[in-house]
Amino acid sequence: MSDEVALRAQGLVREYGAVRAVDGVDLTLRAGEALTIFGPNGAGKSTLLGMLGGAIRPTRGEVSLRGEPIDGATTSWRSRIGILSHRGFLYARMTSAENLRFYGELFALDRVEERVYAGLDRVGLADRARSEVRELSHGMRQRLSLARALLHDPDIVLLDEPYTGLDPSAASVLRDVLSELRDGLRTVVVVTHNLREGLAMATRVAIQRGGRFVWEGASDAFDPVDFERHYHATIEEAA
Amino acid sequence: MSAYLRQVFAIVRKDILLEFRSKDRLVAMGAFAILAAALFNFSIDVASVRPRDVIAGLVWMTLVFGGLLGVGRTFHLEAEDAAIRGLLTSPAPKDAVYLAKVTVNFVLVFALSVVVLGVFALFFAVDVNAALLPTVLVLALGSLGFVALSTLFAAVSTGTSMGETLLPILVFPLLVPMVVFGAGATSRLIAGRPFAEVAGNVRILGAFAFAALAAGAVLFRYVVEE
Repeated sequence: MSDEVALRAQGLVREYGAVRAVDGVDLTLRAGEALTIFGPNGAGKSTLLGMLGGAIRPTRGEVSLRGEPIDGATTSWRSRIGILSHRGFLYARMTSAENLRFYGELFALDRVEERVYAGLDRVGLADRARSEVRELSHGMRQRLSLARALLHDPDIVLLDEPYTGLDPSAASVLRDVLSELRDGLRTVVVVTHNLREGLAMATRVAIQRGGRFVWEGASDAFDPVDFERHYHATIEEAA
Repeated sequence: MSAYLRQVFAIVRKDILLEFRSKDRLVAMGAFAILAAALFNFSIDVASVRPRDVIAGLVWMTLVFGGLLGVGRTFHLEAEDAAIRGLLTSPAPKDAVYLAKVTVNFVLVFALSVVVLGVFALFFAVDVNAALLPTVLVLALGSLGFVALSTLFAAVSTGTSMGETLLPILVFPLLVPMVVFGAGATSRLIAGRPFAEVAGNVRILGAFAFAALAAGAVLFRYVVEE
């Protein structure tokens, strides 16, 4: 793990009318760190992830990547972020290869064809390159979406509920690719309800409730059973 | 090719590919143009009204209503699987996304306007060949101004609970100058008047299209950002 700060959020607040979805989150992540954020529905986890990825504009506060503030006026910082959501950002009437090729052009990548087929191969979809996305199962779509998120080799990867609805084999492929991301160079932020998977892929863990982090710590301090007890106790205490 | 143009062409190519695969907008707009021409043909008494006098207004009304059918669905391509978020979180500048959407809509609406002109000329037995090129130029500028404005408002209406219903309410008042000058120029050209007589209208249509494009490119970012 490097000492360089890869991602910093300061005083992040997001309000939707009278509702404060995220309420003053501060966060500093170094290159190589993997943070998993747990929390009940409505805790503001996806909104926080949206702000970290530049998809949602904060009401207050600032996010910076390696010291460069992210804002709507510039777009170069977007090439350094990969986003995997429980929605795939895929076009159903385009083939797997066409979808990846399109994103390759949007990110103005070199060697697009090579990256497209390497990406498909990485997630076990090389034989479905010419299949339209609407013909793929949910698990295949999620794997294709992972290939899309990693196509431009981002150094910050944001994952929103990556395991939702996956069958065991799709989850296994996802687990293998995500473990490859822990190469000491990339920074990963995961939002999930899956305590076991989320804990396994993290170096740090946070519990969010009511838009705030109510607990933060290292992931190796717990085994999964202890962590589950700790999680429920923390949520109840914060209620 | 610059990264900017590469991103614009990537979105244009993707939208045209999806359009030809789904044919949603092509079928809706084409069918509307032909049905509108057929209905107008039956509803106008050619014994009391000369078709040459009304055809320009009918062409422009069909262009506006038929065009809205297609442009209103501009962002439906992106609605499925939240693909709009993939587009907006990519490094492609928001104005590149807007210009790409305007380009595809222009191709569709301009094609519609030419089809409408041909179908109305056929149904009403009006000869438009004498001033065909100037008329097509007027329709091209009108189509450009129309899509520049309506693409921006399609992005606004897509994000509301009223959806496409809101689009005509937002766009029609702003289209009035374009329809006045466009229909006026088309009417005179079909009546056999010289191009010099409508040059002022053409300049206004051009200025309208340019202003709408510039405003759309600047404002689009604020419309689509969460």
